[in-house]
Amino acid sequence: MLVLGIETSCDETAAALVVDGRTILSNVIATQLDLLKKYGGVVPEIAARRHTELIGYVIKEALDAAFRTLDDVEAVAVTSRQGLIGCLMVGVAAAKSISYARHLPLIGLHHIEGHIFANLLSHPDLPFPHVCLTVSGGHNMLLYVRESCRYELLGTTLDDAAGESFDKIAKFLGLDFPGGPVIDKLSKQGDNKAFSFPRPMIRSKTLDFSFSGLKTSVINMFKDKIARNESLPLADIAASFQEAVVDVLVAKTMRAAEEHEVSAVSVTGGVSANSRLRQVFQETCRKKGIDVFFPELSLCTDNAAMIAAAGYARIMLGEISDLRLNVFPSAPLGG
Amino acid sequence: MIVLGIDTSGYVNAVGLVDGSRVLADSTFSAKTDSLEQIVDNIDSTLRSAGLGLKDVQGIGVGLGPGSWTGIRVGVTVGKMLAFGTGKPVAGVSTLAALAYAAREESPLICAVISAGTRDAVYTACYHVDDGIVIQDGEYFAGTVKELTVMLKEPAVLVGSGAEVYLQMIIKEDSSLITKVKAVDAVPGGAAVARLAAGRLEHGQSDDVLSLTPLYLKESTAKAFINRYSGITKVGE
Repeated sequence: MLVLGIETSCDETAAALVVDGRTILSNVIATQLDLLKKYGGVVPEIAARRHTELIGYVIKEALDAAFRTLDDVEAVAVTSRQGLIGCLMVGVAAAKSISYARHLPLIGLHHIEGHIFANLLSHPDLPFPHVCLTVSGGHNMLLYVRESCRYELLGTTLDDAAGESFDKIAKFLGLDFPGGPVIDKLSKQGDNKAFSFPRPMIRSKTLDFSFSGLKTSVINMFKDKIARNESLPLADIAASFQEAVVDVLVAKTMRAAEEHEVSAVSVTGGVSANSRLRQVFQETCRKKGIDVFFPELSLCTDNAAMIAAAGYARIMLGEISDLRLNVFPSAPLGG
Repeated sequence: MIVLGIDTSGYVNAVGLVDGSRVLADSTFSAKTDSLEQIVDNIDSTLRSAGLGLKDVQGIGVGLGPGSWTGIRVGVTVGKMLAFGTGKPVAGVSTLAALAYAAREESPLICAVISAGTRDAVYTACYHVDDGIVIQDGEYFAGTVKELTVMLKEPAVLVGSGAEVYLQMIIKEDSSLITKVKAVDAVPGGAAVARLAAGRLEHGQSDDVLSLTPLYLKESTAKAFINRYSGITKVGE
């Protein structure tokens, strides 16, 4: 089954063609990086306007790049839950119009479910059940994935997502946007033990996360150094901050894996591209005899291939949305 | 030529069908907060009521705005992706022109008005009627009712949703207009959008499906803020 996936939940306008939830024929992403750099983040109204301008081009490019036409498409999958409401609406309006015009089944999906499927796309051998850490600028969740499309929420962030703290610290340190890749790169030149930042909630009984305190701690230390006229070793600060985030993410995920006695851990979302996070996960999992899986880098950040793959899985379970499909900016993952 | 017209710029979803100058259907559906949820259903039921399917439609007209920013994004995206999906041509139509078209028999001079969100903020444009066709005079205008009052000097019809309220505000500004201006309450209708689109499509004046974008008339608040303070915040264009 050839599925057209559409994703516009935040700042990427994306469309993709995927066969049977496995084979990516095209995966087109128009980023709004120029706007992000200009405004220092996502401005919902500006992002929604850009989606409206780009959506047709992106869908056409996904078809052209795969040497397919709408005649070949057998279903339309779209992100309808979790994201910026005005942005989600553009993707859903496009998806339901194509579905209606071509008499194609339509399926609306939760954005996070897409990220879970990014790893299943990269690794068809990823076993069930497994524990999934999905972490980006907008979300930070630990899930027990019993089988395809069946999830149990184990923990989530109580304030900032890890990726959001990367962005905020980068912005504070006067670095580029988005913060994740910049801090990752800068950290390679720094000493991750130079500063001892807190590891929030690392010993708490729950599997929830909290990163706003860590962010405040970094900012206070930075201001303190300025007040004392001391030098500001940016690379050391970045590396030490990153190490604190990585420690918390890995520790909580490993605890979830042990509690649920799974043999595999899946790490997805934009932050799963972080090289230090990958390294520490690999080292820790090797010691514990657990397999760890990361999506290929092109599928870590928002894309529509993962939505097409998730859509295929849901359609195979007999699920389908009707033409009244609506958007929900915050919604439980379900399953 | 059978043309489907849709408009979601305001509190209703409007869907109409025309065949040349003949109106086949002209429906409005209350859609204060759920225009996206309803619109495709609304199109389907309007087509069915006329005994037609999307395959019978030869062109698509869509209200570009001005109006609710969220609303016009929904309408324009649906309009252009229906055109993309069916391979039929699309023509964008100003929602103000659709309003003026509704009042074309009331007066040779028409001022169309749409709320721009707050009580006295409006989007407006003036039209004159020539041989049953509405022709826009001058530019679109986004401003206050007070500013609109200055534009209304000759006998005219004020048309729009809540036109009567705007007329009262205008008379408060300039009581001499009480005898010159008449209010006509109307929403941008689906059939009016379809008719205006058909007029363009019949002359081969379709819009590019992929690049069609809404007519916002105002930049986003964030962008306006940054442009205004760009010297202070050092955020350049």
